[in-house]
Amino acid sequence: MGEREQKKTTAVKGTTTAGLIRGLVKDIYRLAHEAKAEGKKVAYFMVASQYDEIIRAMDIVPIPTENYAGLCAAKRDMDRFLLRAEEDGYSQVLCSYARIGLGFDSLRKELGGIPENAPDGGMPEPDMMLGSSAVCDPRFKWYQAAGRYLDVPSYSIDVVAPPVQADLNEVRDYYIRYQEEQFRGLIDFLERQTGKKMDEDRLWETIRLGDEAWRLWYEIDRLRVAIPCPMPAQDHFSIMVAGHYYCGTQVAVDFYRQLYEEVKAKVEKGQGVIPEEKYRLLYGGGLPPWHTLWIFNYFESFGAVFVIENVYRGYDPVEVPAHVKDPVKYLAWRAFLRFTQRHEKAKKNSGHPLVERLLGLIQDYSIDGVVFHACRSCRATTVGQIHIKNLLGRYTDIPMMQLVSDMVDLRDYSEAQWKAQIGAFIDALQARK
Amino acid sequence: MTVTEKLKELYATRTERAKELKEKGQQVVGYFCCFVPEEIITAFDLVPFRLPGSQKDPIDQADAFIEPMACPFARSCFNRALKGEYEFLDGFVAPHSCDTIERLYHIWFHNHPAAFNHLINVPHMRERGAEEFFRAELHYFARCLEDWTGRKLDREKLRKAVRLSNRKRVLLRDLYELRKRKTPPLSGVEVLEIQVAGMGLPVEEYVDLLEQYLREVRSRNEKEVRPRIFLWGNVIDDSTFIRLIEDSGAWVVMDDLCTGSRSFWEDVPETADPFEGLARRYLNIPCPRSNFPRTGNRPFDLASRFGYIGDFVRDWQAEGAIFYVVRYCDTCELEAPDLRDYLREMGMAVLMLEDDYSLVTIGQLRTRVQAFIEMMTGVA
Repeated sequence: MGEREQKKTTAVKGTTTAGLIRGLVKDIYRLAHEAKAEGKKVAYFMVASQYDEIIRAMDIVPIPTENYAGLCAAKRDMDRFLLRAEEDGYSQVLCSYARIGLGFDSLRKELGGIPENAPDGGMPEPDMMLGSSAVCDPRFKWYQAAGRYLDVPSYSIDVVAPPVQADLNEVRDYYIRYQEEQFRGLIDFLERQTGKKMDEDRLWETIRLGDEAWRLWYEIDRLRVAIPCPMPAQDHFSIMVAGHYYCGTQVAVDFYRQLYEEVKAKVEKGQGVIPEEKYRLLYGGGLPPWHTLWIFNYFESFGAVFVIENVYRGYDPVEVPAHVKDPVKYLAWRAFLRFTQRHEKAKKNSGHPLVERLLGLIQDYSIDGVVFHACRSCRATTVGQIHIKNLLGRYTDIPMMQLVSDMVDLRDYSEAQWKAQIGAFIDALQARK
Repeated sequence: MTVTEKLKELYATRTERAKELKEKGQQVVGYFCCFVPEEIITAFDLVPFRLPGSQKDPIDQADAFIEPMACPFARSCFNRALKGEYEFLDGFVAPHSCDTIERLYHIWFHNHPAAFNHLINVPHMRERGAEEFFRAELHYFARCLEDWTGRKLDREKLRKAVRLSNRKRVLLRDLYELRKRKTPPLSGVEVLEIQVAGMGLPVEEYVDLLEQYLREVRSRNEKEVRPRIFLWGNVIDDSTFIRLIEDSGAWVVMDDLCTGSRSFWEDVPETADPFEGLARRYLNIPCPRSNFPRTGNRPFDLASRFGYIGDFVRDWQAEGAIFYVVRYCDTCELEAPDLRDYLREMGMAVLMLEDDYSLVTIGQLRTRVQAFIEMMTGVA
């Protein structure tokens, strides 16, 4: 294969610490290859499945297949995998993360090894695949489908949350019980695969590390209420790697401690992302355009900074009741509390927990405008954006915009259209100042 | 009016009978998909009404509320609601069957609520507590209906509703049984229209019509021999596509659709606690939105996931399979290539189609369907 043209896709970041993430991403795949060579168990896994600490406690080396798709897009090396999946019969409207993953697996099977020049050395063949129903349907169906390329066992869990209208006092017990059962099913599976028992103390330790990392991440985001904003969205889309792909490890905790100190120092010095911050924007939802992250710098050229986001850190820290003494029960309680933390507030106001979250962010972060990103192939993060935008419009008159493309498939992106839309949006922001 | 004509009229008018019942003082509960147990609705003396979309009408209002990359069937249903075509509904129930239906529930609830609104969480998994959880969800659904109707659930009525719906299932299976004949007495178009006709009726009324219809159809002259098609996909509630296949010279003799066999094939076990049987049966509906954990090598995995389809194809002697997937259904899109592999391994020809749930786009599929049937005939 000849040299491919590498177009710049990444954005200039606001913090130095965010620059360390590139190394952490490379490490994910390097460590997975090393683990595989040493005979350790490696697993495909899905982020935000609430099971991260279980996987870490069982010393399984995770390979985040969704992250790999984003990485391919950031490297503009996605087409060969997308097209391969489509040749194999997968629809062009199917989740593009899944298409890249399946296309990669298909090519690796055909070639008998990693496709040439695959970003960051490619994904090694896993020993197992661990899906979940958290966030979206493809996150368990994808691994079922990957069985056509990989002769390895898979296991998926349900992650459940009640709708906002539910009476939490009535449903809490059986929701938490089911979540606990699902985690225990996963642990049984992992024990069979690894031949070792789950160590409860070790699980408590990974939970402690996971909670601490997410607490620090929350504190970092709270620092971003400062004017000017010390850390922009492009950093968020990098630094989420620690919280999601290293959850339950000391690496994540150390990383966020370092980032916290840097962001805090910037706030104390009054140092913003750009010299003159005119407009403060909220990234209202949707997966980021991994293929075109420099777009955040384009906004900055008009004095607009994305100061907070509604994706990847979807919940604030929660307090699990002290009577919960079992780590698996703790995880089940934590998941329930995370997913229902704005239910009661929503019942009294907008009726929608996400709207409550966004209204809170708009107020706390002095937001001037909201931008959503609709991804053509991602139902879970896209369907409902218009609805949220409509509901928000009942409570605020700040400008809002929905950009449309895809998280990784460049065929759904038009630079000219985006620039025209952004221009009009900036005009609307200016008109309100 | 013959029973055939009556069913045809019910298919063509769909909402009319429910509206009549509403005018007579009955309450109607609309619901999505095949995961909402109609038995519970029936047990409260409410009319269960499975929501149809419309492939004939453009989606001209829903885009202001829901993104165009969402399932066009779901968008079409909501479009109908916005146009006032579901004003007769007293209740609205959605199962968390897939991402889009779950999102649509909230959009519907905020923008076009009925007097009663409810979302039932349906596990995607089947092991470790799934059945118990789903049973609790169904209990909670019934409890919410009690609050709304002001009536306690009568367990005996629920058992009776289970028996009644099972009777419907027996009759529909009898109807499908007739399609096994080399010269089936009824077309795929008729079968689909009969099922859609029953989606807006009290179950008892539909059972009565089915019994009459079966008597009539059994005495019919049989149709000619044609290539036999097995149809797989998500939702087809308009007969146009099946007519297109049959006008191209084949019979659709069997299906696995959520508006077809998937919705009625298995009975609800008559357990001492009716919720137990309901949870077990509805949880095991073989919809692509559910997960079947892999337990063996690839051929074993495919056989355990699609063995029932293999039986359908063998027993109904289907010679070719057409997949009709309404676009943006991620779970079907992920399932289809595996099922294609499985059926090809059985020696079947397979045509995979993706569509926008619109009569305009269905017309564009004609050439591909015709070519496929010609190819099948040539192969035969």
